Amino acid sequence: MAHENPTGWRRWVYSTNHKDIGVMYLWFSFFAGMIGFAMSGLMRMELAEPGVQFLPEFLGITEDHARHMFNVLTTGHGLIMVFFMVMPALIGGFGNYFVPLMIGAPDMAFPRMNNVSFWLMPPAFILLLLSTVVDGTGSMDGFGGGWTAYAPLSTTGHPGPSMDLAIFSLHVAGASSIMGAINYITTIFNMRAPGMTLHKMPLFSWSILITAFLLVLSLPVLAGAITMLLTDRNFGTTFFDPSGGGDPILFQHLFWFFGHPEVYIMILPAFGIVSHIVSTFSRKPVFGYLGMAYAMAAIGFIGFVVWAHHMYTVGLDVDTKAYFVAATMVIAVPTGVKIFSWIATMWGGSIKYEVPMLYAIAFILLFTVGGVTGVVLSNAGADIVLHDTYYVVAHFHYVLSLGAVFAIFAGLYYWVGKMSGKQYPNFLANVQFWVTFIGVNLIFFPQHFLGLQGMPRRYVDYTDAHAYWNKISSYGYLVTLVGVLLFIVVMAITLFKKKKDCADNPWGEGATTLEWTLSSPPPFHQFNELPKIK
Amino acid sequence: MAGDVKHDYHLVNPSPWPAVMSLAVLFLTVGAVFTMKSDATLFGMSGFGSYLFVGGFLGVLYTMFAWWKDVIKEGETGDHTPVVQIGLRYGMILFIASEVMFFVAWFWAFFSSALYPHLQFESLVAFWDVFQGEAQWPPAGIETFDPWHLPFMNTLILLLSGTTVTWAHHALVEGDREGAKKGLWLTVILGAFFSCVQAYEYSHAAFEFSGNIYGATFYMATGFHGFHVLVGTIFLAVCLGRVYKGHFKPDHHFGFEAAAWYWHFVDVVWIFLFFCIYIWGA
Amino acid sequence: MNVKRLTAGIMVALTALFGFTVSALAEGRLGVPKDKGIWLQEAANTQASRVVDFNELLLWIITVIAAFVFILMFYVMIRYNAKANPEPSKTSHNTLIEIIWTVVPIGVLVVIGFWSIPLLYFQDVVPKTEFAVRVTGNQWNWTYNYPDHDGIEFTAAVVPKSAFADAAERAEYEAGLSKFLGRDAKLNARLLDTDYRMVVPVNTKVKVMLTASDVIHSWAVPSLGVKLDAVPGRLNETWFEADEVGTYYGQCSELCGKDHAYMPIAVEVVSKDEFAKWVERAKAEYADAGTTALGR
Ligand code: HEA
Ligand code: HEA
Ligand code: CUA
Ligand SMILES: [Cu+2]
Repeated sequence: MAHENPTGWRRWVYSTNHKDIGVMYLWFSFFAGMIGFAMSGLMRMELAEPGVQFLPEFLGITEDHARHMFNVLTTGHGLIMVFFMVMPALIGGFGNYFVPLMIGAPDMAFPRMNNVSFWLMPPAFILLLLSTVVDGTGSMDGFGGGWTAYAPLSTTGHPGPSMDLAIFSLHVAGASSIMGAINYITTIFNMRAPGMTLHKMPLFSWSILITAFLLVLSLPVLAGAITMLLTDRNFGTTFFDPSGGGDPILFQHLFWFFGHPEVYIMILPAFGIVSHIVSTFSRKPVFGYLGMAYAMAAIGFIGFVVWAHHMYTVGLDVDTKAYFVAATMVIAVPTGVKIFSWIATMWGGSIKYEVPMLYAIAFILLFTVGGVTGVVLSNAGADIVLHDTYYVVAHFHYVLSLGAVFAIFAGLYYWVGKMSGKQYPNFLANVQFWVTFIGVNLIFFPQHFLGLQGMPRRYVDYTDAHAYWNKISSYGYLVTLVGVLLFIVVMAITLFKKKKDCADNPWGEGATTLEWTLSSPPPFHQFNELPKIK
Repeated sequence: MAGDVKHDYHLVNPSPWPAVMSLAVLFLTVGAVFTMKSDATLFGMSGFGSYLFVGGFLGVLYTMFAWWKDVIKEGETGDHTPVVQIGLRYGMILFIASEVMFFVAWFWAFFSSALYPHLQFESLVAFWDVFQGEAQWPPAGIETFDPWHLPFMNTLILLLSGTTVTWAHHALVEGDREGAKKGLWLTVILGAFFSCVQAYEYSHAAFEFSGNIYGATFYMATGFHGFHVLVGTIFLAVCLGRVYKGHFKPDHHFGFEAAAWYWHFVDVVWIFLFFCIYIWGA
Repeated sequence: MNVKRLTAGIMVALTALFGFTVSALAEGRLGVPKDKGIWLQEAANTQASRVVDFNELLLWIITVIAAFVFILMFYVMIRYNAKANPEPSKTSHNTLIEIIWTVVPIGVLVVIGFWSIPLLYFQDVVPKTEFAVRVTGNQWNWTYNYPDHDGIEFTAAVVPKSAFADAAERAEYEAGLSKFLGRDAKLNARLLDTDYRMVVPVNTKVKVMLTASDVIHSWAVPSLGVKLDAVPGRLNETWFEADEVGTYYGQCSELCGKDHAYMPIAVEVVSKDEFAKWVERAKAEYADAGTTALGR
């Protein structure tokens, strides 16, 4: 049972080590995030003023081309942020690094498969990037049909190879995630340290476990749906083509049967991270631990039966809509349990406001804002004026860009010392938090107003009445840009430090999970002798 | 390093296969796109699609071969301790669960078209004239298969193969290697026979793959099932080869069990296809 | 009704004040977004006003919930910071409070549902209507067809942006529109105006039948409280009844390709008399005028 430890590039490319793979995931996510962030910058600059002027000038293209290019950017931005930034960071990155540590396992159940999960991400990303430089509509490059890729815009509407590349990108990223999910479930079920019962398992592991189930059960349906797109496009099937008896709405059902669980896939790991941070810096155990775990399970479960709330305006039968209204609203209950339990965890605590805690608190507050606007949208009667407007854009950025992304920042600040052995510069990190916090709120709060006023989403150009709030939103982007640049500076300062200055447990007695019992960074193989949990 | 490990988990050695697989998949997919869109260009180049596709495909096959060869070697040299075997079981069950969900998509397409049939519009221009018409399933002009003919025979073939694979399993458990060989041979032959019958049936279909929703749902659902039969047959054939090599022990033969589970899964999917698409859907 | 008129008047005055191009000639209300607006467009009929009222209720509820969470959080942050409370408590359970924060939200949701579901049925169940208009979404314009009026059919496309910069072009479009409507008409807003408008009579229930000829579009007019997708191969139906004469604008609300932002919707609501006259003229000019796109 000799175990080799190659060095140099082989250490990473051939890796079967969950920590190294986790780190690669985080770097991948960071680079993808930069591209997605840059794309959103191009969009915001174009939207800063009515008319189409920025893109034509910036990219040297005609206005006509710019209109399509904007849709390509929106599509690419959505897909990149969802599949190549949030998921790799929260699940692939933190999940890989910390699930085995937290449950007292030496590695993942299938270390080699773990590596192929990671290594499928670069080709998936390359496929997506390639799709932007090949023919999309027959006259212009790139796929501009939105991240939801509704047929027939994604079939007859984009006859070029661009969409085919995007489809394969999702196939490959999906295969990667399914394998990752199988790996997590097996690891958590089979490799917990002696005494680590499910009911003692840290909440982050719980969140990854539930997320993994959502992945295994929802991604294959997306795979089927996009395979149908592929055959409709290339082999003459008519799943979504009425001229052959097919139905475009079928695609939407299949997409959202995946798509809605997908949004919880992106937020559950964030819930897990926030629970740890809140407990650590309040120096108190998580309030209502079991309730927290089962609330996540409930969210995951209900998440599978609410998909058509994205389809209130497609012409569903009214009774069907009534059902989806009721089912969707129910999710507010377990989510409320989580919000209140976090506050209750802080109640009576002895709270220290380190940067991860600031991000976690901001997460709780801003996620609540995004969550309650979700409840507004869940009412079909209100959604009729809000659907496909910027109100929806504001909603989901509050839960994603100010929710999931804040959890990524929180987790990174919380664990960067553990992962690298080096602690971040505190003052600059505080500045980074505040700048980002103000910036993203400036971007997205005004979008509620735009949506209420009726500005539709995926619009390259808007009527003059929407100019004011769009301008503010674009200014917000500039503030956020400073925040992101500061983030790079903070991380560079941290990682380029010569000295490893992070204690094994820099956070004190509030940090109780197993990773804090190890050195910073942890040994290449931890737990050669399994820890015993009392 | 190895000396102080005090647990039974399998810390797999670093391996080149994941990265090689990644590259092969990139070639395969890009190649596939530019084979399907053969006159499209990528950075001004075209016509390379099929070469890339074949290269990528061979790369994927080779990697799978090499990868699983490693797995078999590890299994035979004692890395697959009891706890690791439990992990493998979880893994296989979850993989099958994801496959089930993949078929859910195809059944969804089938049922939504069959329960709420849509009119077929010659062209969308005619829409307003015909939308009041009656839609039906199977769509007008589609002549479906008689389920009690070849499909029924195929059902029997698969059910029979389910019993022969169980025979092989029992034989393995009892250490009866010859019985295992017989059972597996029969299973593989039945599997191959099923595929042949299916291919024969396809070639005599009275409806087309393209241009109508019946053909789309029928061929994609049964076609993906057929593909799984093929994979399952190969999987069982590999197990058969391993029996000849003397690989499986009465208490350690997860590779075989995984193949058997997979085979049963394929079987169950067929039962659903048979009852839903062949009988009910006609 | 009077209060409504009054608010409408104030609204128009306000929009004018904010520098919006309200034409002095504009007859009746304008259903348009408001500069710097932060709330829903002003409702022009019962459907929309019920949506506005419901949204107002929801806004109150969610504001109270969010404010509650924020206040609680700020209180905890101040009261239990490490300086103020050096020794943390060890409580991690309290069954009563856990039950309360499960049950109270359920109660809130039931209240919401109580309003929400009837509104949904009101919007969705098409009542007896007086006539229908078939609307077909195309990349990137809308074809309107009046099957109950000898199949009057015309296609409305966006007025190009240049017409708002160039006075001559603008005059040309306004002349065309005036001819079509049979009275003086002005352009109101870039990206909202179309060369022709869907014309319907006031105080009349109209059925809108929707489909599309290429990809999915969505026919939406916020101030009338309607939005429904136009899906190829499907027939979707909705309805509306406008309470006041005026021009109501909306925009395509489902991504449909390059010019998704350039296929607005303009609904001209006229008096019943005027509608009858318009129909007569339109019949002469547009009835059975060779079916374009999705014919009748
Ligand atoms: C992380 C991602 C995430 C999360 C967590 C959510 C959470 C929720 N979402 Fe959101 N949603 C998206 C991502 C997400 N969403 C995305 C990406 C889209 C757009 C997709 C696209 O079209 O491109 C979308 C769109 C979307 C729509 C469709 C809108 C439209 O297109 O017209 C709807 C409608 O029902 C909806 C509802 C909800 C609800 C009810 C929740 C709930 O889970 C929220 C629950 C939380 C709370 C309610 C707050 C905390 C609770 C309390 C403090 C308790 C008390 C509260 C009450 C009693 C109300 N979402
Ligand atoms: C997680 C998902 C996510 C995130 C983070 C963001 C972030 C941002 N998004 Fe959006 N967005 C979507 C998901 C997301 N978005 C989706 C799904 C759509 C719909 C697409 C469609 O319609 O098809 C959309 C659409 C969308 C629109 C509407 C476009 C349209 O309708 O035409 C706009 C417009 O302003 C916008 C803006 C922004 C901006 C300015 C940011 C940000 O710039 C805000 C600031 C972000 C950060 C500060 C974080 C940056 C993160 C990193 C750099 C990674 C760090 C990682 C590690 C360190 C590991 N986005
Ligand atoms: Cu038509 Cu968007
Ligand atoms: Cu949803």
